[in-house]
Amino acid sequence: MTTIDPAAVFRQEAAELFEVLEAALLDLGQNPDDRELVDSAFRALHTIKGSGAMFGFDKVASFTHEFETAFERVRKGEIKPTQDLVSVALAAKDYIRALIETPDETDTIIGDAILADLSRFVSPAEAVEAAVSSPVSSPASTPMSERRQVGWHLRFEFDAQILRNGSNPLDLLDDLSKLGSCFATPLTDGIPFLDELVPEDCYLKWDVSLHSDCDKAAIDDVFMFVVDEMQLVLEPLFEGEAPQPVPMLDLPEVSIVPPEPPQVAEPTTPAPQPAAAAAPAVERRSGEPRRADDRGIATVRVQAERLDELMDRVGELVIAQARLSQLAASGNDISIKLIAEEIERLASSLRDTTMGARMVPIGSLFGRFRRLVHDLSRDLSKPVEFVTSGEDTELDKTMIECLADPLVHLIRNAIDHGIEPPAARAAAGKPEQGRIELAAVHAGAQVLVTVKDNGGGLNTARIRAKAEEQGLIAPGASATDQEIHQFLFHPGFSTAQTISALSGRGVGMDVVKRTIENMRGSIDLSTVTGESTTITLRLPLTLAIIEGLLIRVGSGRYIIPLSAVEECVELTAEDERSRSRNFLNVRGNLVPFLRLRDVFDADGEPDQHQKTIIISTGETRVGLVADQIIGNHQTVIKSLSKLHSNVTIFSGATILGDGTAALILDVVQLVALAQAQAEKQMSEAA
Amino acid sequence: MNSDRVRSAADGDADAMQVVMIGLGDEKFALDAGTVREIIDPIPATKVAGAKAFVPGVINVRGNVIPFADLRIRFGMPVLSHTADSRIVVIEVRIDNEPVLVGVSADRVYEVTEISRTDVQQTPRVGMHWRPEYIRFITKWRDEFVVVPNMERILN
Repeated sequence: MTTIDPAAVFRQEAAELFEVLEAALLDLGQNPDDRELVDSAFRALHTIKGSGAMFGFDKVASFTHEFETAFERVRKGEIKPTQDLVSVALAAKDYIRALIETPDETDTIIGDAILADLSRFVSPAEAVEAAVSSPVSSPASTPMSERRQVGWHLRFEFDAQILRNGSNPLDLLDDLSKLGSCFATPLTDGIPFLDELVPEDCYLKWDVSLHSDCDKAAIDDVFMFVVDEMQLVLEPLFEGEAPQPVPMLDLPEVSIVPPEPPQVAEPTTPAPQPAAAAAPAVERRSGEPRRADDRGIATVRVQAERLDELMDRVGELVIAQARLSQLAASGNDISIKLIAEEIERLASSLRDTTMGARMVPIGSLFGRFRRLVHDLSRDLSKPVEFVTSGEDTELDKTMIECLADPLVHLIRNAIDHGIEPPAARAAAGKPEQGRIELAAVHAGAQVLVTVKDNGGGLNTARIRAKAEEQGLIAPGASATDQEIHQFLFHPGFSTAQTISALSGRGVGMDVVKRTIENMRGSIDLSTVTGESTTITLRLPLTLAIIEGLLIRVGSGRYIIPLSAVEECVELTAEDERSRSRNFLNVRGNLVPFLRLRDVFDADGEPDQHQKTIIISTGETRVGLVADQIIGNHQTVIKSLSKLHSNVTIFSGATILGDGTAALILDVVQLVALAQAQAEKQMSEAA
Repeated sequence: MNSDRVRSAADGDADAMQVVMIGLGDEKFALDAGTVREIIDPIPATKVAGAKAFVPGVINVRGNVIPFADLRIRFGMPVLSHTADSRIVVIEVRIDNEPVLVGVSADRVYEVTEISRTDVQQTPRVGMHWRPEYIRFITKWRDEFVVVPNMERILN
């Protein structure tokens, strides 16, 4: 183990639990009847409480405890979670997070207020005063009973493995006895014969009568850390129901010595049979199913930097392997060739594994926005339904992180500007509730992330007016709607008539665009007036290594991302002759093509048999004409420096087997180039 | 120009400056030794279509793909083919506040030496075939004038 600050580990763990908790609470707002959600929220809360106490976050533990107690009736199914309740619960979650992240700046008054709110929703009649009265010990839930309650009757047994986890039942009994006078009886019926006995297992059960005025929560606190590994039956103990504690000295010696633990410190007597017999069937506590069940897949937490380092090493290995393969291919030594092939296979699977380790489903990111939508929709009084799809789509971890801010901007814009106020929607004959769709899908070598709202669409005329006002376009100059919409990405451009705290300041869209372009992605924007606006982010699948097709154009060698390649065909003599038109006939479809020799201004004589590589981005297909197709190449992407930032047709460079650098073609840019050229030809022809 | 001099003076010995002396055509240039990462034999550069003329390509230096800059183009000097003396000097410059490695062509590399700031000459406004903002200052070394170029400005 390295010396990692345990508090930091707790913070990290808590951050993940908060995501779970938040998701569960938000879901609960929509499906109030889903017991599973309540349970999962409780599990998260409980873990936060437990580890919080363990790492010295006492305020966190005590507040979470209060929160849990107040929510208890929801868990029991006595009351249904309403939207209001969910909002308070979310506030409480934020408060706990603040307690963990900035404990010194967080005032407990906020916590008390939240608890007061919470208990008002949970039990309007009785609870307000109770919750405010004591922030540390929770309100006692006094059972309405005629007989006076003098304490509690507990019956508990532990999982056999409990001792291996370092928990000591005796300490728990000690803790119980601190609450009041205790009368504990070990139940030994579970102990097997000696030859079947595993010394490390715990076979004892206990039956305890606790004479104390403490509440149930105090008892729960005692078992806080082992609650997942035990079964506990807790019943109120009424006057005259159980034996009074016997003074220590009168105790007879225990006749059966329990094998484990060897020494029982608590006073023990033969079991009070009537009480034990009356105990209801032992039930596992419904709120905390065994945690082991949740750990279907074992995971290891690794620092992101280590993954990056690993990726760099793999990159270097792949380059070295490419050189080895080239060397082996040029010689005649069969054994070297075999080894080179073996290493190629290993390097490629190592690459895939490493890449896989960096891939994260985008769902973790989507989850964060549900809260954003929930809050915005409340603040702006615009009811919004938030629909996500494609959560399983995997993206490189680094990209997921980079995507968070742009998506926040887009979603804010969609709610603030896109969705109309309910009255306007009703007037337009639309349902009052707006709808935001966030989706991710794979499309070839790209991942498309779309944010779609069913609001009023973009007001092209207003954008144009604004652009003219800012001098971005001459009044009256002709421009397509598409071109006008592009002004939205201009720095400092905003058409919002009132600046809200959320959006309208004109910072944002340009930042979004820049962030996406830094990831070698692009943004599409489409709108249907009065119906919807869709913003599509096109992102490359990965940032580090791709499978590439190595081609030669003149004396230069270039890489085309293999995932974009559809097929390779020979440029026929007929295609070659007709230099005036740049269309290919591929099985009846017209495909525009680009002569890379022209694009790259290549030297040397063109090869006699030109090859065409058909590439596609989504729905568009374009042919690229090269001199030679060399073959597959494991391509480690190295970005081009700022000195080449003006070059758009290359997305990066890589190092070939002979040590020279080769450029990687940016397929999207090339397709755009080819289409522009094709359109020009069409219009010339027309 | 003045501020440049003050800054450079502050980080070295009062008046001395460690430089790598390189030759381009008939001129001598002194590159601040602190920015020079390594000097390598010429290797073929990969042409980048559409790039600015003075950074025509990229080269592979120890697994990194770095831009290759030809100062002769920037200074309007004739570009001659490689000779036995040709080298590539890898320097680190700051572009948009980020350190960037750049390979710079040199017709020959003389030596690492010290130049004195006391010999600094005013950059003449006339009689120069390059733009004054590319020059940090001109100084004397072994009775010859040498130019200390401002690489940040040249490459930006």
